This record gives sequence, structure tokens and C-alpha cells, in this order.
Amino acid sequence: MTKGAHTSLELTFQCPLESGLHARPASHLAEVANRFSSQCSVTNLRNGLLANAKSVLNIIAADIRFQDRCVLVISGPDEQSAHPALLQFIENVLPQCDVPLAEAPTSSNVAIIPRQLQAAGVICIAGIPVSRGIAQGKIKVLDKITLPRNIDSPVAVDPEIELSRLKEAITAVRARISEKLKYAVTPLGVAVLQANLAMAGDVSLLERITQAVLQGKSVAQAVVEACELFVDLFLHSENDYVRQRSADVEEICFQLLEEVGGIQLSPPLELTEPSVVVAEALAPQQILGLNRQWLKALVLENSATTSHAAILARSLGIPTVAAVRNAHLLLTSGREVLVDGDRGIVIPTINASVRRFYDREQTTLKLRRERGLQQALEIASTTDRRKLEVAANATSAEETEAALENGADGIGLFRTEMIFLGRDEPPSEEEQFTIYSEAAKAAAGRPVIIRTFDIGGDKKVPYLNHAEEDNPFLGYRGVRLYAEHQDLLLSQLRAILRASEFGAIQIMAPMVSSVSEVLQFKEFISRAQQQLRDAGSPFKVGIPIGIMIEVPAAAFIIDQLSPEVDFFSIGTNDLSQYFFAADRTNPKVSSLLSVREPAYLRLLSHIVESARKSKKWIGMCGEMASDLDLLPLLVGLGLDEISITSSEIPEFKRSIAELDSTACAELFQRALRCQTKEEAESLLPGHASPTTRPLLTEDLILIDSLSQTKAEVIQEMVDAFYVSGRTNHRHVLEEALWAREALGSTEVGYGFAIPHCKSDALTANSICVLRLREPIDWNSAHPERVRMVILLALRESDRQNTHMQVFSSLARKLINDDFRHSLLAFKDSAATKNFLARELDL
Amino acid sequence: MKIVAITACPTGIAHTYMAAARLEKVAKNFGHEIKVETQGAMGIENKLTESDIRQAQIAIFAVDIEVEGRERFNGVKVIQVPLQDALKNPETIFSKIQR
Repeated sequence: MTKGAHTSLELTFQCPLESGLHARPASHLAEVANRFSSQCSVTNLRNGLLANAKSVLNIIAADIRFQDRCVLVISGPDEQSAHPALLQFIENVLPQCDVPLAEAPTSSNVAIIPRQLQAAGVICIAGIPVSRGIAQGKIKVLDKITLPRNIDSPVAVDPEIELSRLKEAITAVRARISEKLKYAVTPLGVAVLQANLAMAGDVSLLERITQAVLQGKSVAQAVVEACELFVDLFLHSENDYVRQRSADVEEICFQLLEEVGGIQLSPPLELTEPSVVVAEALAPQQILGLNRQWLKALVLENSATTSHAAILARSLGIPTVAAVRNAHLLLTSGREVLVDGDRGIVIPTINASVRRFYDREQTTLKLRRERGLQQALEIASTTDRRKLEVAANATSAEETEAALENGADGIGLFRTEMIFLGRDEPPSEEEQFTIYSEAAKAAAGRPVIIRTFDIGGDKKVPYLNHAEEDNPFLGYRGVRLYAEHQDLLLSQLRAILRASEFGAIQIMAPMVSSVSEVLQFKEFISRAQQQLRDAGSPFKVGIPIGIMIEVPAAAFIIDQLSPEVDFFSIGTNDLSQYFFAADRTNPKVSSLLSVREPAYLRLLSHIVESARKSKKWIGMCGEMASDLDLLPLLVGLGLDEISITSSEIPEFKRSIAELDSTACAELFQRALRCQTKEEAESLLPGHASPTTRPLLTEDLILIDSLSQTKAEVIQEMVDAFYVSGRTNHRHVLEEALWAREALGSTEVGYGFAIPHCKSDALTANSICVLRLREPIDWNSAHPERVRMVILLALRESDRQNTHMQVFSSLARKLINDDFRHSLLAFKDSAATKNFLARELDL
Repeated sequence: MKIVAITACPTGIAHTYMAAARLEKVAKNFGHEIKVETQGAMGIENKLTESDIRQAQIAIFAVDIEVEGRERFNGVKVIQVPLQDALKNPETIFSKIQR
């Protein structure tokens, strides 16, 4: 975000939120604006739309998108105090007030109808995959409540009385939402309800209703008209997101109507058995009102992947398919259906073919998950057995627990700023002790690196009374505050030290740029220890002390820092922006700062080499560590640990296990010699994979398959790739195989077929062998039946042809009678694998 | 008889090589001398030289795609068949040649 130009009482800003200033952040802005009596408007300079900044509905209608420039104008009696408050909100709160959303299952937004089901003539109703998962249940159709055009009763009485009824209604509706808020479990559920809460008290909505009442209309009629007005306004927006918000307005208005006696809403749907709820559109509160025990899946006619319903369904893990046209006509109440949220289809008739397909699907998914988890529980090592710890970033005991479930080797960065932010008083030692000790316990013996508070920069707290700075990122933050706020630091250190009794806690200081800062930090730790001794409080002696390497100055004195600390952790976000002297939130210069720049890679190389020479452990936290594409470089760099988002851990561990550290080190050295980031980028996998995974493994040899059709055989083989982690995109791989089949049968005689493809949906070149118990038809044009299927899969971008020699040699050997007879005779996968490995020199 | 041949399929991963091996084996059974050039994922292998082509009485193209360097065969008798034929019924091809 760019800084405000402070001309009179205007504030210009650029929207820092990637999803735009939508309902949830808008409700925060309106909340701040409403604290003051001054008028407050916001104009979107991109489209010229002007909005009352006190009204959520108005702000949404202004369609403020990512990086739109906006101007906020404040005028009125308390403008002098409103201005700094709004400035503080825009600069410090807004950039962080959006909750990250779970991703939609596929980016393609189209339904995938499995070939096998297609071939079996199974009816699949196509929609859009919105929320992952597969579930089955009885249909319950939820009728859309339609807004009555005119309200005959109750008739209007005195406007005064009408208005007091309106007030009561708003209070009641808000109270109901607040009640639901208490039980909201996910951060997203909370955010959605908060936005609803703000809409229910929206000033523009209230204004409209009041105007109509003052013209003599009943409050019910006034609500209907106001609702129509906003729904109309939203529906005419060119932005799909804004159009989706009409559902939220309608729901609020329905509830108001119900309160004032305008309509009788049907009671909430009672679910009493495993159910699939079908609706044209669902308001968030309707979803939250459904019994989660029985709600198995959702089918929506509405096409919105950005509707609050869709977003909520994802965060609650309810399989959901949207954009199912005429769903309420196609799917009648009481019918047992299957909803496939991974592929975006609904299957209205569950017959034997469907059961056969989904039974295997469940097994495949289970095996893949188990394999991922099993791998995640051990410390990941490359094919040549170089270990790389994969830790998680966390801020609470709950996140620590979730990280461990995902297979984290520890917590590489436990941030503590959040505990200090958004409050008027600093947290007490006891409060902190509880948080840190719970996290230590949750980590069950694995290390937890707690970073002492990094306040300042973009994170300000009121009780420290810091003056505004022109360049907060280059100013008073991190370790630099500690001398002035000793008591605050000492109380945090005491809390951390006491918590160390409960697990493997380590302490880390942020923003260090000199040796003297380290010495001072250690002095504070000694004082905290002395204070605990004096008080007779137990703590663990000698816990590891480390520092963040995020200021370039520190990168060049690693040898001098090393005797004073036990470990280092590279903070890539700040390090890169300090190194390139470029603000990563300023679009004009942010492209300068790329962690793929050879200059930056050389800096990292210097840091890690220096730490190695000093025999110190070195990790990395920050966004660079979480970029899967960069993993080969990080392995090549030679880190001891990376600390990443916990949900990514299984994928990272799987990928590490496929890398060869020597190849990665060579790759890294080549990247250092590149002249541009594009050149360095072109070295990364997808271009030349350093994967050295074996071509053939036992889990790719399927003996005595019971598959009955060609489609099923191909599906079974692709599933084996998926379970073994050789593909993450089954559908793409499958379609590549079928594309080859379309050019001509791959049946080659002797009861053999050799389907094959080149595709980057593969993570490694592979041979998969499947022997059928009963031969099947491969191609209707040829009468010969197929008993043995050998699938050859090559990465499209593998230009080295290393494995082509093996493929061609295998193809040639199939001419040999003995070779074929042997393949048909082996009793198990191991024997087949050994035979092929010997024959093909693998 | 001296024969030259080319095999090529769309992806060039499997069938090109299997067909080449098949032609080589069956030609031998028929008592012919054969050299097969493969045009696959590894590019052109076992390339037919000018003298190979000049000495051959016939050229077999068992291909599902366009042959690379077709002009080399100007003036040579060529018999072109789908690749599947070389895989499944190579004997038929050779019987045809003998007639």
C-alpha cells in the first residue's frame, strides 16, 4: 500500500487486498468510520463510484478491487480525530483484515466426468467443483424464499411507531447473528457473520427504510423496497463478486421482515439423516443453521465460487457442487444421490457401476493420504539421504497441534506479535506463559522456536506510544525496541523460560543487525533467568538462543555472531526488501525484488556457507521457503530446515524425497551464475527436473487386476500414479493417455497393450505394469483381447531422453516370445519388478 | 532382397521401436536383409544412408505420421502401411513384396 498524501482531510490509498474491498473488510472500514460523527466518503478513482464509507453496502457497490486507487474524504466536527484513526486503519489494519480463503478444488472451473462412468452410461449432472470431498445422502430441497413485491399487512400506523419497530427488529436480528457468532468455529465463519452483522445495521439501508417510512409506508413495505434497491444495484454490477452479495442483503432483509411481521419465514430445515441440501442459492446463515452432523453435501444452482455459501462450505469442509442448472427440478427430495465435490458432478442414480468406481476412489484417496502422512511423520530426506527438516509457522497451541498432525518436524517460527496487537494493555506474563506452555506441550517434544515480539514497522500497538515514522520499516522495530521497553521484554522472556519446562523451546530475536544487539539480548535473558531464580520459579537452563537474519548487515558478520548464538533463521520477506531497497507492497518497484534474482541467491549462499563454516544450524522462514517451485534451490542451498505453512508440509516432504541433493547443489550453483532471474527461473523443474526417482517401483506393478474395461484399467493405473505421488493431477494424466488412444489403438498384439503419453502432470518418468486376471477388449476393431498392459509415461519437459532408451528397449523386447511369456507368468509384483529391472538394466 | 524401412508413430515412445523390431525379425524369417530407421522421441536413429537406400530394392514406410526426409527416396519403390500393420501383420507386407 502506498502512503497517504495528507492534503486537507483526504486520504488516498490503494486497495491492498487481493480479493478487493469486499464485504468482510468493508465491514471493518465502516465500523471505524461509524465511530465518528463526521461525514466520510470513499471514491473509487478507477470507476468514479462514490460511497458512504459508513455503509458496508455502499462500499461493496463501489467495487473496489486490488490496487484500485481510492480517496477517502472526511468532513465534520470530529474530522481531526477521525483522520488519524482512519489513516491508522488503512495503513495498519486493512492490509491484514482479510481471512485467507481455502482454495477451490480446481482452477479450471469445469466438471470432470470420469471416462469409466461415461462408458458405463452413468448419468452425471455437471456443475462446478466448489468444495472438495465426496459424499452421499438423501436430497433435501431448500426452497428459495422470494421477496414479496408488496406487503399488504401490517398496514402502516404512525411513522414514529413504525420506526421504533424497525429499531427493535434491527436489534433482534443483530442479536441473533451475535448469538451465532459465539458458535462460529472457523475464522472465516466469524468474518462472514461479522460482515452480516454490519449489514444488518448498515446506515444506508437504514436511511432508505427510514425515508420510505417517513413517506407513510409501513416498515415492512419499506424494508422490501430498500432490499429491492440494493439487490438491483448489486445485480447490475459488472463484478461477479458484487453480484453475489445480493444474496447477503436479501437474507438480512428477510430477517428484518420476519421481525416486523411482514412475512412468515419457513422454519429452518431440520435434518435427521445423511442429507444433501439442494438450493438455488444459500445465505451463509442458512448454512450455519443446518445440522452439521447430517449435512453431507451441498448442491447449488447459483454459479458463484465466490459466494459466501461457497466460501463457507470450503472452510467447513462440506463437499459442494455449484452451477447445477435446474438442480431443484433434476434432484427431487428424498432421492439418494452422490455428490463429487472434487470433480464437480452429482450422480442421481447410484448403481453398481457408480459403487464400483467410488469404492475404488475411496481406497485410492485413503492410500494416498496414508502414504502422505506416513512420509510426513519422518524427517524428509532426499534420494541421496540428505535430511531437511520441514517445520511450520504458528502463532498458537491450536496451530501447533495442527502442524504436528500435518507432520511438522517442529515449529520453526512461533510469532508472538499477535498476542501484543489489537489491545489497549500489554499481555501479562501469566497470559503469555499459558500460550507458550500450551504450544510447547502441543509440540510433543519437537522444537518450538519462539520469536520475541517484533512490533513496529507495519505492526503498531497503542500502549507503546510510538511517534509516527516516515519510514516505519527502516525504523524503530524488533530488537531495537527492547532497551526502551525492558519490562515488556523481560516479562515475555520470563514467560518463555518458564514454558520451556514443558517442551523443547528455543528463543529467537528479530531484526538483529549487530553483535552488540545480540549481547544485549542475551543480557536480558540472563536477567529474566535471575528474576525467576529469585522468585523460585522453575525453568530450563541453557535453552538454545538464535537470531533472525533479515537485515543485510547481519548477513556479513555471521562469523562474529556465531560464537554468541546457537542458530540462525533467514527471514526472507524483510531480507529481500532491505537487500533490494524496494518496498514489496509498492507495485512500481516490487518487481525488482525477486528471490530468484542471482544477487539474492548469492546473498543466501554467503549466509549459509558462513553458518556452515561456523558449524551453526541454519533454517529459513518466510514466503520463499513456502514456494514449492523453489524447493530444489533451497535443497541445493544446503539449509538445515525450512519453516512453512503447515498444510503444505506433506507435499513438501513428498517432493524432498524425490530430489537428489547433489543435482540440486549443481542446480543452485548454475543459478548463481545466471545473469537474470528469468534465466535462473528457467533452470527450475518443469524445465529440467533433478528428480532421480526410479522409473519402476513395485507399487506400480499391479498383478491380477479385476478391472473389466479399458477405461477402468487406465483409471486404475493412473490411481497407482496418484497414490505413489507420481502425479498430483490425475485427470490431466488420464486425458493425455486418452489423447494418444484417440490417434489409434495402443494394442500391439500377443494380448499386450502399451498405452503411453508425455505429460508434465507426472512428477517422474515411470513404467506401470498391469496384468489382468481376465482378458478384456482393448479396441473393438481388433478381436484380440488384452491381458497385459504396460504403461510408459514420460515428462513432457524432460529433454534429456534418459529414459527413452529404456522405453525403446522394452518395446523391442516385447517381440521376444520368452520375454512376454515370463511377464505373463510371474506370481507377484516383486518377481516382475526384478525381472524387468534385470532385462532393462535399471 | 535388400529392404530399407522407416517406422514412426505420433508420440514416438513405444510403437515406433516395437514395429522396428518386428520388421527386423520377420524380414529375417523371410530371408531378407533389412535396415530399419526409427523416427521417434529420440529423433532419427539407425539412419538410412544414401548407399543403403540406393542398394535397396524396396522401402517400407510403417508410419502414422509424415516421414522425415522423404525426398531421400526419390526413384525408390516405396510401400507405405499404417504402423499397426507392421506390428500385427508384418508377414502380409512381406508376402506382398515378394509378389
